Amino acid sequence: MSLDGSVGLQWLRYRGGGTMLAWLLHRLTGLGIVLFVGTHVIAAFFLQQLGSDLAITITAIYESWAFQVIVYFCVIYHVINGLRIIILDLWPQLLEYQHEAIWLQWFIIIPIYGLSIFVLIQHGLIGG
Amino acid sequence: MQVTVKILRYNPEKDEKQHYESYQVEADPTDRVLDLLEKIKGYQDGTLAFRRSCAHGICGSCAMRINGRNRLACKTLVQDLNTTKITVEPLLGLRVIKDLVVDMEIFFEHYRAVKPYFVNDEPPPEKERLQSPEERERFDDTTKCILCGACTTSCPSFWANRNYLGPAAIVAAHRFIFDSRDRAAAERLKILSDHFGVYHCHTIYNCTDACPRGIQVTKAIGEVKKAIMTGSLD
Ligand code: FES
Repeated sequence: MSLDGSVGLQWLRYRGGGTMLAWLLHRLTGLGIVLFVGTHVIAAFFLQQLGSDLAITITAIYESWAFQVIVYFCVIYHVINGLRIIILDLWPQLLEYQHEAIWLQWFIIIPIYGLSIFVLIQHGLIGG
Repeated sequence: MQVTVKILRYNPEKDEKQHYESYQVEADPTDRVLDLLEKIKGYQDGTLAFRRSCAHGICGSCAMRINGRNRLACKTLVQDLNTTKITVEPLLGLRVIKDLVVDMEIFFEHYRAVKPYFVNDEPPPEKERLQSPEERERFDDTTKCILCGACTTSCPSFWANRNYLGPAAIVAAHRFIFDSRDRAAAERLKILSDHFGVYHCHTIYNCTDACPRGIQVTKAIGEVKKAIMTGSLD
């Protein structure tokens, strides 16, 4: 807690609700995508420039199921939430229905993500 | 009913940092949080500091964080909080002067920056400057602002950078930008398209949820963004 107005970590306790969570997730999933692309770039660098075995280790990490499950969420969430923001930016009169828009986006994200994970697992089980 | 009110307190004359103090108060479900603060100040601890004036949701003095969200203490009923444990804290992002009293100077500085007054240098007509009901309706929502600061201090973009003009200033600008009688829309849009203007808004929507007057704040900001983007006020 600080007295000069700087917020520190106090903001985490603000009860912003679903819309604040949507924004927070957008930031976090953005970071997730950067991390994924970053590991690709680093793996490629190690492989091509240094011919190091480290590239194989890094590739094994980002190709692992756990990593893929998170990456799928990051990409799907970031794209659909991003679309919601673009639509509301273009038609600000729809901002009155922001809460409904958030619900709608979860109705779209959950089945798409569920289906992707289903395909991912099935693919993994038959060894693809 | 017995209610526990936990208040984040700070006395600049003796405290180095803020700390919580709890008070047991006898309350009716229809009491407002402001009533509880008055009871505490009147009967338990006269040193408690908070702002209030009208006690009817008009002056905008009593905005504070109540159970983690910005609200007006004089408009928040105990029964609407659905709990007997009430936490009251000062607004976030502004310097704390004492207890629940914050320094609003930066807030008003941003407000003044958008020229929140009528500008029209054309010679006045014989009677009034006429406006159709539709033209008046265009900015009706943003005339309701009482400058309590609940929106700006609920905004994560403002918390991150206090140079951001903030939702309240943009609402004030919106009220004049879309007024058919005003002539300074272009000037205000230029101010708001600046680095610390509307593009700091990431449609997080905390401001709209926090507004005690029910103003569609994010929508107003969206309309200003669109006006900047298209160069048109339609
Ligand atoms: S005391 Fe005036 S708005 Fe609450």
